[in-house]
Formats: sequence, C-alpha cells, structure tokens
Amino acid sequence: MNWMIAGPEIFYFAASLWFLLLTFTAQPKPAQNGGRRREYLTAIFLASLGILVCLASVHAQGWLFTRGFSVDFFSQVFKTLLSLGLFLIVCICGQINDIEDRRHNEFYFLLFTCTLALMLLVSADHLLSIYVSLELSSYSLYILVALRKKRGQGLEAGIKYFLIGSFASAVMLFGMALLYSSAGTAYLPEMAKVLPGMMASPAVVTGLLFTLGGFFFKLAVFPFHFWAPDTYQGASNQVAAYIATASKVAGIAIILRVVASAGQGSTYLVHVLVILSVVSMTLGNLAAMVQKDMKRLLAFSTVAHSGYVLIGILVLDAAGYSATIFYALALLAMKFTAFMVVVELTPDGRNLQIEELAGLHRRSPLMALALLVALFSLAGIPPTIGFTGKFLIFTAAIQKGYVALVIIAMVNVVISLYYYLLVIKAAYLLEPAEALPPLVVSFPKKLLAGLSIAVIVVAGFFPWWLIQIAQAAAQPLMLGR
Amino acid sequence: MVGSPAHPVDLAALIAATMLPFASFLAILVVTRGRPRLSAWLSIGSVTITLACSIALLALHSGLTTPIGFSADLIGSSGLNIPFGFLLDRLNLLMIVVVSTICFLVQVYSLGYMAGDPGFSRYYAFMSLFTWAMMSLAVSANLLQLYFFWELVGLSSYLLIGFWYEKFSATQAGKKAFVMTRAGDAAFFIGILLLFIHTGDLGIVNLDSRAALAGVPPSFITLSALLIFGGIVGKSAQFPLLTWLPDAMEGPTPVSALLHSATMVAAGVYLFARLFPFFSMSAVAMSVFLAIGTISMLLASTMAMVSRDIKKVWAFSTISQLGFMIMALGAGSYFAGVFHLTTHAGFKALLFLCSGVFIHRFETNDVYELSRLGAKRMLIPMVTMVLGAAALSGLPPLSGYFSKEAVMGSLAGLPNPVWLGAGLAGVFLTAYYSFRLIFILLFPRETAVTIPVGTPSPPPQAAGIPAGAPGAWAMAVPLIVLATITVVLGFFETPLKNFIGAGMLAGGSVGGEALSWTPLAALALALAGVGLAWVEFGRKGARQIGFVDRIPILHRLFAERWYIDRFYGLLVNLVIDRGISRLCYLNDRKVIDGGIDGLCEGAVESGRVMAVLQTGMVQYRLLAIFAVLALLALYFYY
Repeated sequence: MNWMIAGPEIFYFAASLWFLLLTFTAQPKPAQNGGRRREYLTAIFLASLGILVCLASVHAQGWLFTRGFSVDFFSQVFKTLLSLGLFLIVCICGQINDIEDRRHNEFYFLLFTCTLALMLLVSADHLLSIYVSLELSSYSLYILVALRKKRGQGLEAGIKYFLIGSFASAVMLFGMALLYSSAGTAYLPEMAKVLPGMMASPAVVTGLLFTLGGFFFKLAVFPFHFWAPDTYQGASNQVAAYIATASKVAGIAIILRVVASAGQGSTYLVHVLVILSVVSMTLGNLAAMVQKDMKRLLAFSTVAHSGYVLIGILVLDAAGYSATIFYALALLAMKFTAFMVVVELTPDGRNLQIEELAGLHRRSPLMALALLVALFSLAGIPPTIGFTGKFLIFTAAIQKGYVALVIIAMVNVVISLYYYLLVIKAAYLLEPAEALPPLVVSFPKKLLAGLSIAVIVVAGFFPWWLIQIAQAAAQPLMLGR
Repeated sequence: MVGSPAHPVDLAALIAATMLPFASFLAILVVTRGRPRLSAWLSIGSVTITLACSIALLALHSGLTTPIGFSADLIGSSGLNIPFGFLLDRLNLLMIVVVSTICFLVQVYSLGYMAGDPGFSRYYAFMSLFTWAMMSLAVSANLLQLYFFWELVGLSSYLLIGFWYEKFSATQAGKKAFVMTRAGDAAFFIGILLLFIHTGDLGIVNLDSRAALAGVPPSFITLSALLIFGGIVGKSAQFPLLTWLPDAMEGPTPVSALLHSATMVAAGVYLFARLFPFFSMSAVAMSVFLAIGTISMLLASTMAMVSRDIKKVWAFSTISQLGFMIMALGAGSYFAGVFHLTTHAGFKALLFLCSGVFIHRFETNDVYELSRLGAKRMLIPMVTMVLGAAALSGLPPLSGYFSKEAVMGSLAGLPNPVWLGAGLAGVFLTAYYSFRLIFILLFPRETAVTIPVGTPSPPPQAAGIPAGAPGAWAMAVPLIVLATITVVLGFFETPLKNFIGAGMLAGGSVGGEALSWTPLAALALALAGVGLAWVEFGRKGARQIGFVDRIPILHRLFAERWYIDRFYGLLVNLVIDRGISRLCYLNDRKVIDGGIDGLCEGAVESGRVMAVLQTGMVQYRLLAIFAVLALLALYFYY
C-alpha cells in the first residue's frame, strides 16, 4: 500500500490531532486576544499548508483500504477545493465572538476533522466508507453549529440539524442495504457493472433513491433542505459559511460519483432528479424572496443552487459532470465572498438583517463591491464565474434535450434576481436611518475581498483553464467504470 | 473583389485621411480637453493631413478608369459576410477633396469665431468626429458601411447643432434635426435590407451594375430606390422633411457652413450620385425624385424671400439648391448634379462664413439690424458675400453660373417643359432673395421698417471678440480662399466634365445640350430677379418692402414655412402623442406593468407561502421528507 497518496487526509488528521491536543493542554487565556491570535495564526498556517499538500498530491492515483478509498484526479481536485475552502473560512475566523474563547481550539479541531471527513468522502468508493465519512463530517458540523453561545440559538439549530441529519442517514443506510442486497457488492465500481442491468427492479431504484437521500441532505436538496435556513441562521456566521461552501462542494462530489457509477441507464432516476431539481430551485428561490435575514436568504439561495447542480448531474454525461465540477468551484468562490461580507459586517457575530446593509457602499466600498459581484455571480449575470457555470450546465442539459428543464431553470434565475437585487439595492441605494461609521477593514481582509472579486470576474472572462481542469476531473468518472 | 486592388501608397494615404481625424477626436476628448489651443491645433493638424492626402490621391489618380477597391470582412456570421473597405473612383476623389477643403477652411475660421468659448475643445473634438465620419462616408465601399457613417455624420450634426446646449432652442433644434433625419434613415435602412435580401451583396459597384440586378423585378427596384431616397430626403432636407435645416442654424455659424450647407446635407446628393446607375434603372423613381427636388426647390425659395434672419435665408437657399441638384440628377444628368454640388459647397460655405463674421461682430442675426449697425463697412466679408450671392444667383462669370446652366441644360432635355419652367422660376427667385438680402445690407435705412415677422430673430450667439483681435485673420483668410474658388471654379467646367463624365460607372447621359435659348433665358431671369430686388430694396427711396410683404396672406404662408411645421406639430400631437404614444403608454401601464406586477406579487406571495411551510415543527418536516420519498418511490410504478 502506498500511503503517500492519502497525504492530504494524513495531514488533516495530524492537524486536527494537534488542535485536539491543544484543547487538552491549553489554558483559557484571560488576556483574550493573545491566545485567540495564536490559535488563529496556527489554524491559518495549517490550512495554507494543507492547500500545498493537496496541490502536491493532485496527480496521485491508486487505492487504499482494499479499494474502499480510491484516489484519482477527480477526488484530488475536490480535495484541493476543500482545502481551499477551509483556508478561506479560517481566514475569516479572526474574530469569532459568538463562540466562547475556551472553545476555540475545539472549533478548529472540528473544522479540520470535518474537512478530513469530507476529503475521505470525495475519495470513498465503498458504501461503508461513504457512510462513515459522511457521518464523521455531519457529526463535526452538528457540534460546530451548536457551539454558538447566544441564547440557545446554536443549540436549537444544532438539534434540528441533527434530527433531520440522522433521519436522512437512516434513510441512506436503508437504501445502501437495499443496494447491497440487490447488487451483492458494496464497491461502487463493481456496482457500476451490475446495476445498469437491474434498473427495473424496485429494490435497486428505491435503494438508489434512498442512498441519494443522504447526499441530498448534505446538498440541501428538497425535501432534505428543511435544516438549511434554521441551521444557517442559528450557526455562527463562519460555520454557516463553512456549511455553505466546503460541505456543499463535497456533497456535489459524492453525488457525482455515486450517480456516475450506479445511476447509469435509469430513466426513473433521471425523472426523480428532474423533479427534485425543479422543486428545489423553485422553492428555494420563492422562499428566499421574503427573507429578512441575510443568512436565511443565502440558505434558500443554496437550496436553489443545489437545484441547478442537479441539472448538471442528471445529464449523465461528461459535459454535465465537468459543468457540475466547474459549478462547484464557482459556488465555493461566490458563496464564500457573500459570507465574507456578512462576517465583516458583523464583528460581534450577530445575525445580519438585510436592512442593515443600508449605506454599505459608503461605509466600505470594497465590501459593497464584493457583495455586488458575489450576488451577481450567484444570479448568473455575465461576466462572472457564476454565469459561466450556469452556461455550461444549461448547455450540457440542452445538448441532451432537456429544453423544458432549462427554461424552468432560467425562469428561476429571473426570480432569483429579484431577491439578489433587493440585497444589492439595500447595499447601494438605501440610506441608513442613522449615519453609521465607516467600516474598518484590515488590509489582509481587503486583499482577500479584492482577490475574491478578481477571481469571480476574471474566471468569468477567461474560464477556459478552469473548464479544462473540470473536464480532466470528470474523466475518472467516465473511464474504468 | 471590386475594382483593381489598392496600391499600398493609396491605402496609407486613405487610412491617414480617414483615421487621423478620428484619432484627434479621441485624443481631444481623452487627453487635451483642458487645453483648448492644443486641441484646436490637433484637430486642424489632422484635417490638414487629410486635405493633403485627398489632394494627393486626386492628383495620383486623375486618369483613373476602373475604381480602386479594398475590403476586408469585418462582420461575419454563419455564412453571411459584410465586407468593410473603401472604394475610390472619380466621384469620391472629387468628394473627398471638396469635403476636406471645406473642413480645413472652416476649422481655421473657427479659430477666430469660437475663440474664448468655454467648449472650445469640445467643439474641435466634434469637428474632428464629423471630418472622420464624412470622409469615411465618402470612401465607403458598400451600402451598410456607408449607412454606418451616414448615421455618425447625423450624430455629429446633432452634437454640433446643440453645441450651446444651455440654450433651450439649440437642444430642441438638435433633437428636431436628429428625429427628422432619422425618419428618413429608417426608410433608408429598410431599403438597404430589401436590397440585401434580394441581391445578397451591398457593394456599391455591384449595385451600380445592371448585371447584378438583372434578375430583380423592376417594381422591387423602384420600391427599394424610393426607400433609399427616403434617407436622402432626410439628410438633404428635401420635401417633406425640410424643416429641420432652418432650425439647425441654432448651431455655431461655422457648423452651419460646414455641415448644413456644404458637406453633410450634400451627403444625400452624394448618395444619389453614388447610386446613380442603380436609381436610373427605375424611371418611376427618377420622376418622383425630380418632383421632390422641384417642390423642395420652389418651397424653400419662397421661404427665403421673407426671412429676416440672415442664416435662415441661406439655410432655405441651401434646401433649394439641393433641390436643384436632385432635379439635375433626377433629370438624368449626372454631371450637372455633381458639378452643382461642388460649386455650391464653395459659395454656400462662403456665404455662411461671411454671415458668421457679421454675426460675430454685431451679435445679431437680423438683416435689418445688421444693416443698421453698419455691416457694409466691413470690406472683406461684404465683398466676398456679394461674390457668393452673385454665384448663388447664377451670374457670370462665377462658378454658380456655370453649374446652374448645366442644371438648366439637363432640365431642358426633358420632354415635359414643366420642369424647365419650374427650374427657371427657381433661378428668378434665387436671384431675388439673394440680392434682397445683399441690398438690405448695403443700403441701411434708419427708419427700420416694421413688418409682421413670422419667426422672431434669435438672440445673439457667441460672446465674440472685438474685430481686429488676433483671431480676425483666421476668419478673413478662409473667406478670401473660398471667394477665389468661387470665381475660378466655373472655368474648370470642361476638365471637370471630362473627369466626372468619363468616370461614370454606367448609364445616364452626361448632360443635355437641348435648347440653345435656355442659358440666355436663365441669365435673363437671374438678372430680372436682381433687378426686382434692386427696385424694391436697393434704389434710393425704396421702402425695402418686398412684393410678398405687401400680400399679407402670402407673407404669412411663406413666413410660416407653408405651415409644414404646424402640420407636423399637429401630426405629432394628435397622431403620435395622443394616439400611438398614448396607446403604448396604456399598454405599458395596464398590460405590461400590470402583468409584471401581478406576476411579481404572485411570486412574492407564493414565497410567503413557502416560508410558512418552513416554520413548522421538526416532526412535520420529517413527515414531509417521508411523504416525498414515499411518493417518489411510488412514482417508479407508474
């Protein structure tokens, strides 16, 4: 066995162990900032090192754990995205005021553990390893959500999240059992050989549907989306940002892998995905329109976006897969940028109401611009990465003949513009009731905001390099299966 | 490809001639806006090079037989290619020389006229824009490209008419000019599209060859010819779209000299000449053109007879002279039309620039006022103005005499004597109104007659510099140059005739040589016009009241411009404002806005419902998940 191919996982395992160790030994610092600073810098250092490790192993290939863990370009691209996501989230964790100081080491421990679990998830090739890594990541997140100290908000959200999550994983486990009993194997590559011939069997399709249920929970697809608004609202802003970015990216990856290997040749599955996609985006967009809380709005927008992602997946060909991978990257960039603005605006960690954005363009032009670009990108307005992502997905779907679906999606894009523009209107056109002081943004944050804007816009103009990576990453899904 | 390929030298000269003004336009707007002197010299420098290149091209290709062409595909879309490029033949060699000469002289003149204006740099930027557009229009190789620059010329006209945008009437006039010419251009564009659909090639050489249009039904040619003529009517201010030109006099006087007399309005006539073989394929269209030219010519002449505003007199006379050109072309005489265009560009620019000197000095447009203030004491402008007016009236040996004789000759060649009669009447009227103005200026009467005035004289224009200031030479030199051209150009009739005539692409006669008494009659009528003007305005004791002024109804009719503007006002008010606009407005408010509002409110409302679903207890949510999954599983069995 070549352990080196699991380099990222080993690294993140070690990093989370380090934070675990700190939780045992570190004393709560009364002089708060010094201690907080140290943990923060450690986390940033480890997270940036993690990106390097992932980049170093990006071309690794092979299997571990008797083929339950497969490393290919697909998984490595997603691991890089995950490490990037973790790094970005850690960057905005400089001032987490709504998590108790003595919990900070645990907070980072859970973040790193969750990232480790998500990395295992994108590489998992066996039903059991999928289940285990999914649960590991979910449990980390349940606790992270509940860590918020204010008024039991976090606890309530954590429990809701946990209840729905455990329900979903029960459904998934049931589905996996059905699949295993029908196919006689739990290896995805093996199943890919057997299942297409058995698509008429109710056990197989129900099993597949239920298995996907667990992933739909991760991705917040209807009907497993109910946790999203409450959890986003209840969790601290940084945790919500992590759920919206890294966790979603991994969810996309695992759905891609499972559907690509087990879902071929089933029109039923396609129909189910079409229904869920249409309902998800319509429901997400409609519900987002009446939200007052920024994080709830973003939660519903996430539901809508998982609807768009499903379109790319249900196309079931290389173009759709690569479009979905590209979209995962786009989601990471734009969701992070939006959440970064939310975090910057609420140094005390409260929930941001949309009307509080009033006058933002005067308080901090850069943050207002970042919000504008991120939301335009989410809405899919050119020339942003979000436009390119939607364009690729819709093109792939049209080439497969799903014209009606794409038209519905486009109508949804128009609906979504309504609430994105409401937010932008608040940031740019409304004046605050009383004059607010200018927002002080530290230089590294400014750099981060500038870079995010640049990435979203430049990748919208010159997406070709990223598209090529996405296409290369989609190859392992098509070959050898 | 069209014509013979271009020599690199020609190409370089052409690119320099057309692109340099554009470069200076950009440079002025972007870099030198705050430095008026530099901007002016930048613009004049570029137009000087343009002029030099144009003259060099004319000199190089004086013996040109086949047109030179160059083109490259710039717009391409799935098998449909629109080449952009240039075409050089004798007609546009002449045209670019005329355009660049007048542009150059007017820009030099503006140094004095516009001195001290706060928008000095902006003025030169727009002038450069116009020079670029007009030069490019003249060398365009195909109709779409020509249309492109045609619109740019219209844009620069709009910008320059409304140059003093703080003046309400100026912005109104700019808008009016833009909208009225656009009305014609819409027809023009439809014509282009029709031609494109049927022939698939908008190259001018192609359209001018009978072979290319052999398979096209004649009624279709007539239709597209009439539509394209719509653009000419708008641009050259012909009937019924003629009322924008007098209003366009709100712009600075050099602008009126350049755009609204010598070059831009002549673009319409140029287009006619450009597509002359194409137009002459339809006899019906040609007679319509002839009629339109005649009507415009006579109407504008009558309006000029009563106007007290010196610039408006020349504006009306521009319309009527353009009418003469269109008559000549419509009568089938290519040379007469182009020749009259050339001479007219010279003497009309001269007349405007002279008027500009008076306006600049005395700050009024009213002829009687100018006369009272002592316009005749300004020697150079007064002498050159008399020369220009004499040329306009067609008195020998000035250039206007020769070109007008050519026009009359072409009309005399027609079987129907009505056209010739109308033309001769026009000659008489032209001489009368030109010398009415001259005599008023020359013989001031202290007791200024008060006669009912249809249009009040506009307020004084630019805050001028006193005469004799450093800018004065800049204004005097162009006058002398143009006056010289006016005197001399007529004697070049034969070489020009050979040059233009031999360069004809196909079809059309070169000029009628029908009745020998026509030139004499025209001359006699012109002299009669001058004589009448003398009797009424010039001789001692004349009351300076024209015969038209004695007939109130006629005077009112002419002063109100035959009620054309009133008619348009009524039309716009009743049909467009209260009819179409109102319907559109209602549709917008009730149907579209209402529909969209309903849609949006519906969407927001359903969003509220969705959000309500969200706020249930956890048990209900789990139940919902279960129900959906169960339904989806059941769906498999259907």
